Amino acid sequence: MALSGKKVLEFAGLAPAPFAGMLLADNGASVIRVDRPFATTLDVLCRGKRSIAINSKIPSGRELLKRLVASSDILIDPFRPGVLERLGLGPEVFLGSSGLNQQLIYARIVGFPRTGPHKNMAGHDLNYLALSGVLSMLPGSVNKPAFPLNLLADFAGGGMHCVTKILLALLMREQTSRGQVVDVDMVSGTRYISSSPLIHRLHPSTGRFPGKRGTNLLDGGAPFYNIYTCKDGGLMTVACIEPRFFKNFLERFCEALPKDFTSSEKWQGVVNDSVQESRELWPTLQLFLETGFSMLTRDEWGKVFFGTDACSVPVLTPEEASELSSSLGSAPQIAFNDRSASCFLNPGEHTREVLVTEFGVPENEYERLLEEGAIGESK
Amino acid sequence: MALKGVKVVEFAGLAPGPFAGLVLADNGATVVRIDKPSSTFSPDILCRNKRSLAINPKTTSGLEVLKKLIISSDVLIDPFRPGVMERLGLGPDVFLGKDGSPGLNERLIYARIVGFSPTGPHKNMAGHDINYLALSGILSMLPGSDDRPAFPLNLLADFAGGGMICALGIILALFERNSCGLGQVVNADMVSGARYVSSFPLLHHMNASTGTFAGKRGTNLLDGGAPFYNIYVCSDGGCMSVGCLEPQFFKTFIERFVNALPTEFKREFGWIPDSSTQSDRDKWPKLKEFMELGFRTRTRDEWGAVFMGTDACAVPILTPEEANDLESSGKPFPLPHPKISSQGMGREPSESSTIQLPPGKHTEDILRELGLTEIEYQRLVQEGAIYSYGSKL
Repeated sequence: MALSGKKVLEFAGLAPAPFAGMLLADNGASVIRVDRPFATTLDVLCRGKRSIAINSKIPSGRELLKRLVASSDILIDPFRPGVLERLGLGPEVFLGSSGLNQQLIYARIVGFPRTGPHKNMAGHDLNYLALSGVLSMLPGSVNKPAFPLNLLADFAGGGMHCVTKILLALLMREQTSRGQVVDVDMVSGTRYISSSPLIHRLHPSTGRFPGKRGTNLLDGGAPFYNIYTCKDGGLMTVACIEPRFFKNFLERFCEALPKDFTSSEKWQGVVNDSVQESRELWPTLQLFLETGFSMLTRDEWGKVFFGTDACSVPVLTPEEASELSSSLGSAPQIAFNDRSASCFLNPGEHTREVLVTEFGVPENEYERLLEEGAIGESK
Repeated sequence: MALKGVKVVEFAGLAPGPFAGLVLADNGATVVRIDKPSSTFSPDILCRNKRSLAINPKTTSGLEVLKKLIISSDVLIDPFRPGVMERLGLGPDVFLGKDGSPGLNERLIYARIVGFSPTGPHKNMAGHDINYLALSGILSMLPGSDDRPAFPLNLLADFAGGGMICALGIILALFERNSCGLGQVVNADMVSGARYVSSFPLLHHMNASTGTFAGKRGTNLLDGGAPFYNIYVCSDGGCMSVGCLEPQFFKTFIERFVNALPTEFKREFGWIPDSSTQSDRDKWPKLKEFMELGFRTRTRDEWGAVFMGTDACAVPILTPEEANDLESSGKPFPLPHPKISSQGMGREPSESSTIQLPPGKHTEDILRELGLTEIEYQRLVQEGAIYSYGSKL
């Protein structure tokens, strides 16, 4: 695999760092997660990783960490600025002129920009999303946007971004034989991934996001790009932006409904293709679609549009989506049903394996580290 | 820069293709966008540092020239439905070879980005971001209103699960090429991409024992179920984000919040939360009400000031304009990110080429670089394979 033989040291942290480690592991890298001894973890993004538990408060633990970093290709630092420096594990120690590992890719992920006014503050995805500018644009209710869990900042703008840049640094290393620091902050990462709506918004002349939240083409302002509730509470998506797709959709939608409904005077103006261009009719169109969708179940609607260019498919539950996905055999797979792909990785599960077997730490030294509390093993 | 010298041919398409091309261009690759000669305008704003060649692959000479261009390139981005490129005579087999017969450019990274899985039942259907999100399973989990989730524009499938994933795949393939000398096909579909980006909530949901996403939509820790991870409206309609998950951060938040509230309000409400309230789920509805009403007693910026510089995990929700100011780059758009230290400021995107790339703008330059003679060029014009850009003015 692309990253076979690459050694990654991932300091245990929240969402973005584990996700970055997982992406690297998924592509063949050997990833070791560094935990604190006796830590508990809820990290589920741990497939393909091993865990070593080291106590960085103890000098011999720190020394051990230094050795591990010195022999790795990639380091993932999820801490606030300064933390690793204070442990004697900052970038200059490895990448400086007399550095211990000048090939190291030193990846640092933080939330707020490292040089900004919020740099020393604690935060989470929702906060980074807030400062990115894009949260204020997201569909939601009348008085506030809704947020898509912690996907945009933690994962898209954080972990995945970080991996992209780590890989680019690896590419450069092949030319230069040198590593470097890769700095990711989740506010900037979220902004980058949201380039399209943000650029449109900052250039209203493009016409894509000129209006208030909820009145634009892609934020629920258009009846033909939205989610509708069906008779059984299930949901259908509609996304027929292009005129030929809208025509396709409208024809089938009307065909599936009782004649006495679609031919009602109320809907006169909206049951034709040109309604897409008549913004003033959109509220009526919206009502028409809402009412119409509520007359059949989700799966009945699913059948109506399946195999067509109406751009309308059902909203699947995670279970249904998983079935669909695993029936396709298309990568990447999330092995929900594979019990051997364990969801959890116990801190310290591989401490002995990594240090003694791989690293060649002599048995007596290993015992001493254990006694000192410099390292830990899982039960 | 990391991708200096890498030549990319990006067939013009919607969101994901251009974004993948943008990521490559932002890291030093030379990107040529292939437009149709008949397009007078492209709505694509993710076009900085790209050039446009407008050429018709359905003409003999046009196809020949395109092949020549692709033969001398490193990466191709195909945004079309399965089969389109094959029918044009530009499918992967032509360049990468098949069953022992050699291809024209076996080092080519052939990146294909589609919406629905190219091997699944929806593969020939048209679709957009919200449809792919619907099939990914994650849409059903997103916060929104009681009866349905809200969707985050077209960010999750088109960009995070689409363009970004495609770029990642391309870079991995470039990396592999360095050791084995060969290119390959990169298959990205946005349903799978959105799922992969959403690994965390999906894995938690499918393993209910973790407790993180075990409940119905809207009742979990990170989907609005917890009062201390949510958005609150202030007296002026501005909003604050609150994300104090950890006990020590919740403590900081709640102390400052309560402290900053008018005495009148506290007296009237008759109940004051404290750090112990966080772990008492029964009190959450009351805490939510307290916070909703409490935030409405002051403006967004007043609240911003209350929490600035602290570990309360509460910051204002900025408009795009304010967020842009915060970035203080002086540029009216998000800068390429992340930075790698060897890059310095990297390639500075210029203001004027930022958001519009007229189709065909660089046709002549590019064909000249490709080594076409005047005669070959004229033939293209005659066949309608290209239009002379000057003539469109």
